[in-house]
Amino acid sequence: MTSSGQIKKDNTAPEPEHKALPEGYGTTEAALLPRDPNWMFIYWEITENSKKNICRSHGEDVFQKGRQVIRVYDVTGGEAAKYFDIPVMLEAKSWYVNVQESGRAYCCEVGLIMPDGSFIGLVKTNTVNLPGGRVSDVTDEKWMAVSGDFDRLLQLSGVEYIGKGSGEVAKSLAQRWEMLRAVFSRASSWGVSSMSSQALNKPELAKKFWLVADCELILYGATEPDAFVTVSGRKVNLNPDGTFSMRFALPDGLVDLPVKALSKDETDSREITIKVTRATTTDGK
Amino acid sequence: MANKEKGYLALVLHAHLPFIRHPEYEDFLEEDWFFEAMCETYIPLLDVYERLTAEGTDFRVTMSITPPLCNMMADDLLRQRFRRYYNLRLELAEKEVVRNRNTQFYDVAKMYETKFRRIRELYEDYYHGNILAGFKKFQDMGKLEIITCGATHGFLPLTVRKEAVHAQIKLAADDYRRHFGRGPRGIWLAECAYNPGDDVFLKAQGIRFFFLETHGIIYGSPRPRYGVYAPVYCPSGVAAFGRDMESAQQVWSAETGYPGDSRYREFYRDLGYDLEYDYVKPYLHHDGVRRNIGMKYCKITGKVQLNEKAPYNPAEAREMAASHAGNFMFNRERQIEHLNGFLGRKPVVVSMYDAELYGHWWYEGTDFLEFLFKKICHDQKSIKMVTPSEYLAIHPDNQVVQPSMSTWGDKGYNEVWLNGTNDWMYRHLHKQAERMVEMANKFPNADGLLKRALNQCAREVVLGMSSDWAFLMTVGTAKTYSTKRFIAHTHRFNGLYEQIMGNRLEENFLKDIEWRDNIFPEVDYRAFSTQEMEKAAGS
Repeated sequence: MTSSGQIKKDNTAPEPEHKALPEGYGTTEAALLPRDPNWMFIYWEITENSKKNICRSHGEDVFQKGRQVIRVYDVTGGEAAKYFDIPVMLEAKSWYVNVQESGRAYCCEVGLIMPDGSFIGLVKTNTVNLPGGRVSDVTDEKWMAVSGDFDRLLQLSGVEYIGKGSGEVAKSLAQRWEMLRAVFSRASSWGVSSMSSQALNKPELAKKFWLVADCELILYGATEPDAFVTVSGRKVNLNPDGTFSMRFALPDGLVDLPVKALSKDETDSREITIKVTRATTTDGK
Repeated sequence: MANKEKGYLALVLHAHLPFIRHPEYEDFLEEDWFFEAMCETYIPLLDVYERLTAEGTDFRVTMSITPPLCNMMADDLLRQRFRRYYNLRLELAEKEVVRNRNTQFYDVAKMYETKFRRIRELYEDYYHGNILAGFKKFQDMGKLEIITCGATHGFLPLTVRKEAVHAQIKLAADDYRRHFGRGPRGIWLAECAYNPGDDVFLKAQGIRFFFLETHGIIYGSPRPRYGVYAPVYCPSGVAAFGRDMESAQQVWSAETGYPGDSRYREFYRDLGYDLEYDYVKPYLHHDGVRRNIGMKYCKITGKVQLNEKAPYNPAEAREMAASHAGNFMFNRERQIEHLNGFLGRKPVVVSMYDAELYGHWWYEGTDFLEFLFKKICHDQKSIKMVTPSEYLAIHPDNQVVQPSMSTWGDKGYNEVWLNGTNDWMYRHLHKQAERMVEMANKFPNADGLLKRALNQCAREVVLGMSSDWAFLMTVGTAKTYSTKRFIAHTHRFNGLYEQIMGNRLEENFLKDIEWRDNIFPEVDYRAFSTQEMEKAAGS
């Protein structure tokens, strides 16, 4: 398996793993996974059969007429009270879903929005409970005695280190190791092996070859929770901890994003300007 | 006077490596991770425990020895290969003492010779090749508390099927009993990754406690009255201990952490590169490529080029480790006295680290621990070292809090294990779990060849679930190897699944996979059945 590996003479059977992973499993299904308080990951598979069934009941051109979306339901407390839609291509097969409100329960449904506004669901995910990502508002009675000192307790507990755990240090150690390898061993076996990661690449479809790619922009930041923040002159609603994030379409050309924060008493301000250029080229085939 | 202490210190070391064992090769590079950790961390830690016990120094430490690590330590092939590894190192160290006579490297050359002799002595004469027996000895004395981990260090919050969560815990507890003669009382959830509610599966195995990153507790609901300085009970009654970041940063911090001291050993100057090629070649892998061999003659020295590093002075470095241990203890004393006054209760400070930091990354780390244990035992009175079980026996009364989803990874949640480099894995992993559950439900009483095949399927599913593969893809280290491993387990599983469901099992195919992936000799595939999961959840 590695260049240092010596195959034993008495074992020359071909290794079964030299095949790519299955492209799909032939079932229409989807799953939703939690990433952090504001992000989830969804993947789906929709079989040709399922698509045919939808066409049969809603018309042959339903996939041309309908807009393809992920419908994100807030199902906190059991009922789908609120939802919003994210436009996608069904061929994307997976997506990262950003939600404004942490600490809630979500599930997603991939489907089509028809010109008359009706929604045709294709596949639904499991429910995910996202963490709140902040100190709980719930205090029990016993708590009251020391609640005034909670901020100090947070300091003592090292709240400022949150997210800077040893995972990060382990990562930098691992990177040092990697750097060492790169510097000193020009032919390390870690990278050179009989099977490269190309096995992961999407195998070509037997029929028509195709490619879709697009890109969006996510802007995020944090300031004092009571500050007044604008992005490109538009007011931004902050999360209770002062963080904010926004997702933009990213067309070709230059996007200019001035981010301004004004302190509550209006005596202090900060400004950060982010310029993003997108240039898309295709080979025209 | 009894009860003079102001609070408790629980030192927790997480020892883990993924299951890496390749019988199909004579010599396999990634197996070195295990051999290096054996020589630099696991055996030196046992050496520390042996010395402390011999001289009558009382100590307490909690260590996870994960099921993959237990299985590697107990495996005949890896034991045999480990002997070859340290014998080669010892042979080189002996030659080096002669070569370096009358040079400034004599002391450090001598250090390695002594070190590898001691490793051989402990491994052969003390433990007869079974170092788990060594750890068990200190557990039975009550000084060491060994805890388990998910069967293969599986990352539970990204596991959709609860049957697979249950199986990770159940297989781990069964394997622990095989090695240590009783059930585990505690568990290290891989990556400290906690998904609210999964604690019911811990309870079903008799596990009483686990560990969380700071915000897992701090963001719990209702607010934890004592922060991370007292454990909380999940609604299931399983206790969660939170990590103290002050003591963590003191050791880990890149700028101010102890391991960066200029007198400590430099990791990146290694004899594998420094020695004349023909002389060092017999100690390299068969491909003859220069790599680290774990013997290093220089100290960190300062911010200088690698070729300007000064010779390592073992005595000077050991003194530094003693001084850092004194500093660490002093800071814990002040911290605990302060917390005691502030909380009005004896705090428990939980200091959690990767075990491999001590000895492998920070060469003098095991010396540091030895000095720390000694100083805490003999030189102070405000700190009492405890294991979590001891703490819970003294303080069974704790607040009930539902901890928050959290991990100890970068940014505090699941992103290290779920991002563009590795998110493609999960649809395959979930499908395998689903198929495994399907088979466990369909064949509740398999025997013969079918039972063997189902058990092997269970091994393949859990091996694929190791959080290590996703982690290595994220950090870009050994990415090819981890990708290949994940794909291999997926194919082996899918191949067996198709044969089982198609009622056309080929014994030779099964035999080959059993020979490659022999983790958990006593695995029972029924751990994946829906009925067993529901029974556990309702217990």
